[in-house]
Amino acid sequence: MHLDPFELHEPATVEEALELAGTLSGKFDYLAGGTDLLPNYKMHINLRPHLISLERVSELRGVSSNRIGAMTRLAEVEESPDLSRAYPGVAEAVREVATPLVRASGTVGGNLLLETRCFFFNQTYPWRQSLGFCLKADGDRCHVVPQKERCYATFSGDLAPALAALEAEVEVAGPSGRRRMPVEHLYNAAGDGILRLSLVPGEIVVAIHFPESARRARSAYTKLRVRPSFDFPELGVAAAVWGAAEAPEKVRLAIGGLETYPRRFDEDTDALAGAPLTDARVRTVAEAVTRRVRPVHNTFLPPDYRRRMTEVFVRRTLSRVRAPNGSVAA
Amino acid sequence: MASEASPYRLLGTRIPYIEGPLKVSGRAEYTDDLTRPNLLVGRLLRSPWPHARLRSIDVSAARKMPGVAAVLTGEKYPTTFGVLPITHDETALAVGKTRYIGDILAAVAASDELSAERALAAIQVDAEVLPEYSDPHVGLGAVAEPIHSRGLNGSNIQKEVHQHFGDVDAAFAEAAHTVRVRGTFAGVTHAFTEPLVTMAEATPDGRLTVWSATQVPHYLHRALSEVLGIPLHRIRVLKPEVGGGFGGKSDPLPHEIVCAALALETGRPVKMLLDREDVFLTNHGRHPTQNDLRVAADAEGHLLAYDLSAVIDGGAWSSFGTVTTYYNGVLAMGPYRVPNFRYHGRRVYTTKPPSGAMRAHGGTNVRYTIETALDELAEKLGMSPFELRMKNALPPNSTTITQFRITSTSFLACLKAARERSGFDEKFRKLPYGRGIGLGCGFYISGSNSPIHFTPKMPQCTVHLKADMDGGIAVHCMQADIGQGSNTLLAAIVAEVLGVQLERVHVVPVDSDVSPVDIGSYSSRVTFMMGNAARQASERLLALLLAAAHELTGYPAKQLRVREERYEVAHRPEVGVSYLEALHKAMEHSGALQASGAYTSPPMGGTHKGARAGTAPAYSFAAYVAEASVDAETGFFAVEKVWAAFDCGRPLNRLAVEGQIEGSIHMGLGQFMGESMNYRGSRLLNPSLLEYKIPTPQQMPEVEVLLVGADDPEGPFGAKEAGEGPLVAILPAVGNALYDAVGVRFYDLPVTPDKVWKGIERRRAEGTPWKGT
Repeated sequence: MHLDPFELHEPATVEEALELAGTLSGKFDYLAGGTDLLPNYKMHINLRPHLISLERVSELRGVSSNRIGAMTRLAEVEESPDLSRAYPGVAEAVREVATPLVRASGTVGGNLLLETRCFFFNQTYPWRQSLGFCLKADGDRCHVVPQKERCYATFSGDLAPALAALEAEVEVAGPSGRRRMPVEHLYNAAGDGILRLSLVPGEIVVAIHFPESARRARSAYTKLRVRPSFDFPELGVAAAVWGAAEAPEKVRLAIGGLETYPRRFDEDTDALAGAPLTDARVRTVAEAVTRRVRPVHNTFLPPDYRRRMTEVFVRRTLSRVRAPNGSVAA
Repeated sequence: MASEASPYRLLGTRIPYIEGPLKVSGRAEYTDDLTRPNLLVGRLLRSPWPHARLRSIDVSAARKMPGVAAVLTGEKYPTTFGVLPITHDETALAVGKTRYIGDILAAVAASDELSAERALAAIQVDAEVLPEYSDPHVGLGAVAEPIHSRGLNGSNIQKEVHQHFGDVDAAFAEAAHTVRVRGTFAGVTHAFTEPLVTMAEATPDGRLTVWSATQVPHYLHRALSEVLGIPLHRIRVLKPEVGGGFGGKSDPLPHEIVCAALALETGRPVKMLLDREDVFLTNHGRHPTQNDLRVAADAEGHLLAYDLSAVIDGGAWSSFGTVTTYYNGVLAMGPYRVPNFRYHGRRVYTTKPPSGAMRAHGGTNVRYTIETALDELAEKLGMSPFELRMKNALPPNSTTITQFRITSTSFLACLKAARERSGFDEKFRKLPYGRGIGLGCGFYISGSNSPIHFTPKMPQCTVHLKADMDGGIAVHCMQADIGQGSNTLLAAIVAEVLGVQLERVHVVPVDSDVSPVDIGSYSSRVTFMMGNAARQASERLLALLLAAAHELTGYPAKQLRVREERYEVAHRPEVGVSYLEALHKAMEHSGALQASGAYTSPPMGGTHKGARAGTAPAYSFAAYVAEASVDAETGFFAVEKVWAAFDCGRPLNRLAVEGQIEGSIHMGLGQFMGESMNYRGSRLLNPSLLEYKIPTPQQMPEVEVLLVGADDPEGPFGAKEAGEGPLVAILPAVGNALYDAVGVRFYDLPVTPDKVWKGIERRRAEGTPWKGT
């Protein structure tokens, strides 16, 4: 496999990058760590003639206890003791991404904006050509759920649920200025595997910001995958709990790896505030969440199993964080 | 039992690979490291159809594209080839028909990768799509469009075997206990680290030189000659370092021939490095198989009969398939005495990537089926799985009902070691729910007695030695070191016999111009056959050195003994000569000393149809115990520890043997717990190392290797194989451990977590608790 030639641009500031994006509108991709984009390019998936590398944009770098620059390498987050202590769920999610080699290149922003994945999409050009191209690249149909309108590719980032559970915010910069929004709003709940983001063309993710309250939460991330390394999530559950186990102030749950976007389940977890997080109450929420999720068969493990594991993983993840010492009387 | 205290100076110790420093420093040369002036890049156009008749392939536009030196299609080289002389059904490029998604339709040689791939895209193929046959069961009967004309009676059956020894029906009629199981096995592939790669150059002197990542340079040599129509002596095959093979580099492969053809076509050197997807599509991995087995035993647990039938998914070509079909039956013999045996095996062509030989070829799936069925039988009998096996073990110097000659076996010693070291009796059915221990046993050939050879009376291996004035000893042999340590063993045997330091021995890289024939690295034959040939050559060279020592000392050669770098008089050790003194004296008569040795396996086996399949000059035996834990809520399991008792006779390089056993356990675990070629119809869904789930190092159990073999009477220095046999026992050991953990039998491999979870749920739904849960 070879990479088709492309033109590489290396702006030094966010503003330069946005200007280039305006000029090259529709003909470029931003390049962060490249660990996902370049393999896709090698498979001739949605090639663009220009790449705008964000490598030299210093504003996008840096880790502190309340901010992570979007171009921060996953390995840098992993190696930051402050961050790991403050947000254990984020640290767990980062450690579970791919492999050490990928984490040395892959970035926080790249993991948030990770292209959705599917057995029928992440394949070489001849492979896809021989089956007939799909909606998400070069074609007009879906091989997972045969129809012509909606793409079912799976969102496979690990960081988004972990950040969403902590109510982190994402800062984006675009042609019409800067804005901040909750991490989960980065994704288009009304969209599909193709229209997966709420970003407008050219917008750049600048940084993640943690609210002051995030430091007070207990958080965890649990990942389902066949192998304890390499693999993308087949299910990723993040939980955060504020306050005492006997009467938590707030509980947040976010899930990725199952559907076309990561989502939070506030309507289920809001009911957990104020009363003891007993096994029975945790189980009730886990079952309610499981009833809502709809995985499809486009990853390694069967969708019915992934759905049933949602109950187990939600229960286990919540149980890990419901009390400061990890346990509570039923 | 071979103890750590070896009677040999080198053999039996831990000998680091002689090429190790080159490999770990990145200096070893693999085929892709090599280059030639004006090198072209070769690329392949593969079929997008599982089954189609080719109407036309228009390469005119591709030929005119910039950088393109040649475009090749199938009709120029229509001669069929294949690894077995009796089933030549492959062509280098598709001729007339394409038989799977990935069949080679055309090839391009161009100045660079990009030009080559652009030229491929410009090739126009017109084809009539034919019915696809992805399910071997469909191909058992007559089909509308047989994949090959050689299918039996209009079906897609490539090979059918009927064998019956003794009287199986009578045995079942008198049996006190019977067990019936169906084992279903997904296809798995070798996934060697170094992708397939070949470089070829045709020179104006009329010679063709081919460098290739191959396990069997000799078969490649032969296939090149047959298909390209060039006499063998004008083709030179070289094997640089090879990064793993596991059977996947043992067939002569189409891209190797195509690469050579492009070199002939262009008059320029051409290199073809295959992508990982290409490697998956080339496959030749373990056959998807369905084994139906019935076992009969008497009231005391003596085995009375096996009744086995198999449907084996061959993919598009024959490859080793005729051997696979026999092996999947006859390798059911051993390590037990089975007095009655019936086998019906059918290997069926399908429109999928070809299956072939993979480590423990033909012996892995049937072994899993038997060993898990025996675990069921032991439970029915209320007998320890160890007792059942001890009761039925084949004794040394016995004959199976299939007429296999069993000489050495330390199977009972394997059982004893594994049982004691693992504390099996204290744990079996006594560990808490979710934790279990299981036994699985193994049996495998140590070299096929029936060589795939074009001149059957030639030795299976020949070794040449040359000692010159510098004191170095050059060793020539076409045996193929693919990472398993055969070069090191070859050097060690020579050094051992001659008494010289290991560093004096130089194993010359395989080069068909100078290396005498060895039929390569497959069927676990190299240690046994090359070892014997090397020993013979070394002893002949030693005789020349001792004759010279006699001239120098006056003592007859038979009174001399070999010490390190010295030959001295046994009863007067102060009298002696150095190796170099003896060598230089001997050279006065003849110049450089030369000697050769060869190995041919002795006559053996019965006279029935297929009698040669499975005959071997020796067999390896194994008893593995695995301890596993299961997360009953998710179905995830971990293999915590493996006690691997193995009979390879005398281990000649303990480091290499332990590495082979650990590597085999990793590979066998892969097939058990996650590796599978997943298809939608005939289309391979996971041709990548991301979606083909090779276990990670975190999933490897601790392995305790127990080498308990007694010396084999015919093996070199008592040795037998350790390259493939170590794989087969791990799968059933873990399967039986999972049963002990959660009370569920798993007969459908791979056993992914969702299957374990489903099995546990099923058992719960049935309301049959296990260990109180």
